[in-house]
Amino acid sequence: MTGSFGAARAARLGRRGLLLAPLAFPALARAEEAGLQALLRRFAALPQSRASFTEDKAIPELDLPLPSEGTLSWQAPDRLEKRTLSPIQEVLRVAGDRLLYERPDRGIRREFGLEDQPEMRALVEAIRGTLAGDPGALHRYYDIAFDALPEGAWRMVLTPLSTRVRAAVQRILLSGRGPQILAVDTEGNGGVTRMRITPLP
Amino acid sequence: MRGEAAERSVGGARTPLRRAARLLLVLLALAAGGAGLGLTVGLRTDLAEFLPAGRSPASSFLLRELQDGAGTTLLLAGIEGAPPGELARLSREVAAGLRASPRFAFVGDGTTSLSEAEQAFLFRYRYLLSRETRPEVFEPAALRQRLEALLDGLRTAASPLLARYGFADPTGAFLGIARDFLGETQIETRDGAWFATGAGPPRALLVARIAGSFGLDAEAQRAAIAEFRSLFAAANPGPARLLLSGPGVFSSEAADAIRADVELISLASAALLAAFLWWRYRSVLLLGLVAVPLGAGTLAGYAAAALASGGAPHGIAFGFGMTMLGVTVDYPILLVSLRRPEEGLRQTARRIWPTLRLAAASAAIGLAAMLGSGFPGLVQLGVFAGVGLLTAAAVTRWGLPALVPPGMQVAARPLPAPLAASLRALRGRRGLAALALAAAAVGLAAQGGPAWQRDMAALSPVPAAAQALDAELRRQLGAPDVGLLFALGPGSEAEVLEAAERLAASVQPLLEAGALAALDLPSRFLPSPATQAARRTALPAPEAAQAAMQAALAGLPFRPGAFAPFLAALAESRALPPLTAAGLAEGAPTLAARLSPLLSRRDGQVWGVALAQGVTDPAALAALAGRLGDPRILLVDVKAEMAGLLADYGRATLRWALVGGVGVLGLLALGLRGLRPALRVAVPIGGALLVTLAVLTALGQQLTLFHLAALLLLGGLAIDYALFLARSAGQRRGGEDALGAVLTCAVATLLTFGLLAFCQTPVLHGIGLTVAVGVAAAFLLACALLPRPETD
Repeated sequence: MTGSFGAARAARLGRRGLLLAPLAFPALARAEEAGLQALLRRFAALPQSRASFTEDKAIPELDLPLPSEGTLSWQAPDRLEKRTLSPIQEVLRVAGDRLLYERPDRGIRREFGLEDQPEMRALVEAIRGTLAGDPGALHRYYDIAFDALPEGAWRMVLTPLSTRVRAAVQRILLSGRGPQILAVDTEGNGGVTRMRITPLP
Repeated sequence: MRGEAAERSVGGARTPLRRAARLLLVLLALAAGGAGLGLTVGLRTDLAEFLPAGRSPASSFLLRELQDGAGTTLLLAGIEGAPPGELARLSREVAAGLRASPRFAFVGDGTTSLSEAEQAFLFRYRYLLSRETRPEVFEPAALRQRLEALLDGLRTAASPLLARYGFADPTGAFLGIARDFLGETQIETRDGAWFATGAGPPRALLVARIAGSFGLDAEAQRAAIAEFRSLFAAANPGPARLLLSGPGVFSSEAADAIRADVELISLASAALLAAFLWWRYRSVLLLGLVAVPLGAGTLAGYAAAALASGGAPHGIAFGFGMTMLGVTVDYPILLVSLRRPEEGLRQTARRIWPTLRLAAASAAIGLAAMLGSGFPGLVQLGVFAGVGLLTAAAVTRWGLPALVPPGMQVAARPLPAPLAASLRALRGRRGLAALALAAAAVGLAAQGGPAWQRDMAALSPVPAAAQALDAELRRQLGAPDVGLLFALGPGSEAEVLEAAERLAASVQPLLEAGALAALDLPSRFLPSPATQAARRTALPAPEAAQAAMQAALAGLPFRPGAFAPFLAALAESRALPPLTAAGLAEGAPTLAARLSPLLSRRDGQVWGVALAQGVTDPAALAALAGRLGDPRILLVDVKAEMAGLLADYGRATLRWALVGGVGVLGLLALGLRGLRPALRVAVPIGGALLVTLAVLTALGQQLTLFHLAALLLLGGLAIDYALFLARSAGQRRGGEDALGAVLTCAVATLLTFGLLAFCQTPVLHGIGLTVAVGVAAAFLLACALLPRPETD
């Protein structure tokens, strides 16, 4: 119940745009906020983690989804790496405000500012803010709806506050159990990318 | 002394005071006249304008670029002295501040990117700007490949970007031009900052272009540099240092440093000179007297040069002219020192006038020869110094005696005994003089004659350390000083861009062969209207495009209608008017800032520049330019043109100095009534020049215009010494008074100009060294060539 309510509110806020965005934080129910804080504290206690992932991209202009898989690794305070192993090889590495993109098989290596890559920024700050256990970072970029589910499971709906980012990514759904993210769904430009994550020891 | 005067005459006590007041008034009037002329007429200051208009189209083009080319607005910066992460943060913060400031047109660093508005603008013009716009690109087979590549790209992390652009631009025209325009720089990028590669402590690099009109708008440059520095200071640099270079920095900050250098030396030399004259004459008045002919000569020369050039004289002519007017400091010293005890100053002036007149006229003739050189700078210099010299001599003859209080006892004290004795011993040592001259001649010949400076940089008043920093930053930023470039134009914007495209096409084989690494062309950022029109006609009509797309899509997982934006863009592009430089400046200022140094408008004509980088085979480029025979494409070898220009200039100066030398000899022969006495006077003059050249060459100095100016000053001084010593040789006490007077003159000159030898600035150092060596040689030679005094 609360979950669908949160998602609906996030969508509504998204529609109303920036005007209402600053009001979202105080409006977040006290219980929700307390649950989020408690979860993030548990994330903050883990300075590093590794996981494997599978991903399915659905793009409205395409008839079928595009699958891929690889690994994720996190190192506090701000280093996040996404390494795709199949069907292509690529590395995305973020540290601070800089983004490094590599395709070793093609000899491509580029560096960007996250500022210039709104789509990337939306995704990176969501995952990084959660892994870092940094409520400030999450609130800075997103309107947040948080649901605690039974057996330590949880669900978060993040709506970017920046109109520029929201033009590219409308919503990010994170879900997991305890201090582990198990799924990230990114909705934008009429498509959705579903990532399923399996923690590695 | 004042006490003595008061005791001597009660009634006339006020006259000396009034005379002193009159001297003060005259000095004030001269200063006011100088200030008035300076404020109303002013000076021009750029080196390029002082140089001749250029002997060839190539050198004319270069001189114009030097004067007000886009290169004059470039600022190069390095940040060092902290760990790399901290340097990167400083670089990013400073760059962000620079971008936000209206004083900067372009900022290059590790984060250079296009704004969204610029991206939208370029996206709209993508098919007119892209090199890939050819009919075959829109054939089904080629489209098919692009669609497959798009599908592959959508699997990568770049898929949001591709999803944003790919369906409106499956051929990748936009991403291609964005990559082309922003360039894959060879500078290492770390943490959003450029870093210098190679050994040495880490250094972050930035480059910025000052906004506004090109040329040396000193105030705008100064303000921009100050803002750069304050942005750096505001970024909490801690131990990090900002190194800043570029023409703007040179013209403001380096000039300040030089001014400080000169001021220090001037103060030191003024104090030393005053102390020396006090020691010799025990008179403050004399200092004022020395200043009067110099001031009057400067004023007259300035006014004459302004009249001759029909406007503000050149600052360099003024500076050189002032150097040469240093001779006139001798005149009052000689006048006062040669006064006999029983004479009034008026009588002394009348008695020494023939010699003084001859000395001044000879020195002026030596300079007047430059009037015939035809070089604007040299003509101004000749007028300035010639008129100044004659005026100073006339003021000494008729003006000074009226300014000196009649009761004033200004006389040189006898020379210290050991000094007088050694000078006496030197007299008449013709063998010694001949030996010195022979040694100088042989030494000079052995070193292959004087070495001429061929490097423009050495003419620059910028200290060597600042020049070295500039060269280092340019190298690290991958923008070394350009050795070879192509001048494109003049013509309309379209004509120049077409010339650039012709050049681009013909230089391609040389690029592939490695004769050069890159050629930066204006057409890279803005294709000519003709090319854009051709690209427009290469775009398929809507029905053809639709059909080709349908064929290419067969069997691929794209949904129908996915590429509707692409088909719409093709149709829209077929009706777009070609983009112009003005349109680019409006829609994409970042790119316009990249284009503007390569394409400039001057007097209603457009000029382009193509900079060649990494040239390994200059001959191949020269051959290419010859083969093209294109009236709008001109190869310019910067170093060679500049060296040629300087060599021409040096040769002309030398030639006219030689002509002047012959004139001096003729005048001396006339004044001394015979060639033999004239030669006797001329030997120490020529000898001093010879010895100076030999010593300068032995010291490894490469001669520049500044050395030549100093040599001309030296010629004037040597004339004074030789004439006054020669004329007084037969007189009372064997001319020992004259010897003392001339020695005083020589020491005064050494204190005025010789101290410049201690300056770091190459120009000042060169002048100082030349004068110091020359004055010593001139005095000693003139002394040694005197007849031996009769033994008492």
